[in-house]
Amino acid sequence: MRTAAQGQSSLQANLDWDVLWERFGIATVLLIGWILAVLFVPKFSNPDNMLNVIRQSAFVGCAAVGMTIAIISGTFDLSIGSTLALSAYFGLMVVAKTESVALAMLTAIATAMVVGAVNGFLVTRIKIPAFITTLGMLFIVRGLSFIISKGGEPVRYSGKSFTWWGNGSLLGIPTPFFIFILCSLIGWFVLTRTPFGRYVFSIGTNRNAALVAGVPVTATTTWIFMVVGIFTGISAFLIGSRLYSAGPGLEPGFELNVISAVVLGGTRLAGGRGSMIGTVAACLLYATMANVLNLLHADAFVQRVAVGLVLLLALSIEGIRQRLFERASRRISNLRSETNIR
Amino acid sequence: MKNILNKIWNSYSIAVVVLAVGIALGLLTPRFLSVDNLLNVMTNASLVAIVGLGMTLAIASGNFDLSVGSTAAFAGCISFSLVPSIGIPASIVAGLMAGAVVGFINGLIITELRVPAFIATLGMLTIVRGAALIYTDGKDLYLFGQTGYKVLSGEYFLGIPTPILLAMGIALLLAWLVNQTRFGRHILAIGSNLPAAQRSGIQTSRVLWAIFSIVGASAALSGMIISSQVLTANGRLATGLELSAIAVVVLGGTALSGGQATMMGTLLGALLISMINNGLNLLNVPIFYQELTVGVLMLGALAVNIQQGFDFHSLLRRQA
Repeated sequence: MRTAAQGQSSLQANLDWDVLWERFGIATVLLIGWILAVLFVPKFSNPDNMLNVIRQSAFVGCAAVGMTIAIISGTFDLSIGSTLALSAYFGLMVVAKTESVALAMLTAIATAMVVGAVNGFLVTRIKIPAFITTLGMLFIVRGLSFIISKGGEPVRYSGKSFTWWGNGSLLGIPTPFFIFILCSLIGWFVLTRTPFGRYVFSIGTNRNAALVAGVPVTATTTWIFMVVGIFTGISAFLIGSRLYSAGPGLEPGFELNVISAVVLGGTRLAGGRGSMIGTVAACLLYATMANVLNLLHADAFVQRVAVGLVLLLALSIEGIRQRLFERASRRISNLRSETNIR
Repeated sequence: MKNILNKIWNSYSIAVVVLAVGIALGLLTPRFLSVDNLLNVMTNASLVAIVGLGMTLAIASGNFDLSVGSTAAFAGCISFSLVPSIGIPASIVAGLMAGAVVGFINGLIITELRVPAFIATLGMLTIVRGAALIYTDGKDLYLFGQTGYKVLSGEYFLGIPTPILLAMGIALLLAWLVNQTRFGRHILAIGSNLPAAQRSGIQTSRVLWAIFSIVGASAALSGMIISSQVLTANGRLATGLELSAIAVVVLGGTALSGGQATMMGTLLGALLISMINNGLNLLNVPIFYQELTVGVLMLGALAVNIQQGFDFHSLLRRQA
């Protein structure tokens, strides 16, 4: 009897640990990483450098906020790299013509939203699986941005009021990071405090159950793709402003960077579980790693290996724990059957 | 009658489309149908088809491999760097082995560390690409005077380029593997229902290791062919190959949900994309329209197939 009870309590402890790891695991890793970096990496603790790290985290970060919502709902969007290029291009074109920063931002966001709406339409109405829809749109939108730019000439604009968004600071904090935090707060609020957020979680947990329970699955899914678009548009605007320019070949592979940041942050690809704080921490962790490796004069190639290794390590922790857990529960059931025999 | 038509369309739609597009392009530009050009089209199709055929196995088992582009580059570099020391045949084998090892590692990460295939191979995408770049120090590898390496891309048999023969051979081999062997049935069983496959005593881990090793080796072959065409290899080779390969498989009619595979479809899917790209080139359409076409084609094919599926079901309902 005692053994069984102990087994029960160890199960409980395991579950709590699971939730804790999911919410705060990467944040803890990030904190430890920062402490180690401050102690052992020369120049890391330099305030300018730290500010640079958080600035760099924002460009992937804003898009990752939208992607977190998509992945929690059990879908994802491979087209955002191409969308980024198209909406940054339109954004720069508008700001170069009209000199209006607000208009440029709106254009970038609206462009990405339209792409998102098309994705949503194809997924919900034509019922093509999201993976294929967004893979197809990856090619289509990239092709479109090359066609519109007539073969790849980037647009340039270096007006101060525009480039401030990517390169400037507000109260000493980099502007993009401000926007990133704002985006993630909005994302967090939407996910946890609104009906839309509850729909997202319920669709991700069990789509059919959500449908039966009266969740507007079609409308919510369409909106999810548009929300991904909105945040990708913000990223596009910030990157365009950071680079003073935008070309149609911008950031291939962006989609996979964003997805890997979201997944590293503890959001399950299977859907139904995930947190905004994890995503923020994961984006910061990637930016920190890139910075530290730079400071240690590791070349860009080593950085790629490190990024992949961190992703695999973080994701295998869950699997390894699952195996240990299974072994333990097998031992418990063995013990139980032994006591029964006695 | 409608049922039979539906069935025929479902199994041969891609072939019909390939024929139609071929005829249309032949009418638009007579040069398209010249033997040289057709061989050229088929050679280009083979490069993606070889990876796609391996990928078909992975997708049939309900998995993906996103690391194939990196694996192609890695294997190409390994093979090229070994030519001076161990000769051409051995270095080609070494390249294949390198690819198979990468694939095997993918399999291990998926089964032993229980990382979902999507993420495992996504991680390996960056790791292996990094490894290839570190190995070559970011530089190009050339094979001066080693034209023997062209055996992978030249015309050695009846004037037919080797990649075409390789693609056909691999397609036959894998089709046999999937349809006629126990291993093949295990793959499809895993793809349709993993827990059921496990319960019925299939050693799913081993099957997955084998699948991913095959995918890795096919990616390696493709990478070596691409680099043998220009006798240059570098760590940036075949970027984005993973998504083209998946596109080809999907276009060919293999369902992403797993449990079913068509090697013929994958071959034809690759051929279709290559034909259209070539046709657009001959028609002097700017190159960036090609990506657009690939995307539209994929979504169009899927949309049509899915709508077909709906028709079929409603037909059944009315009869009942």
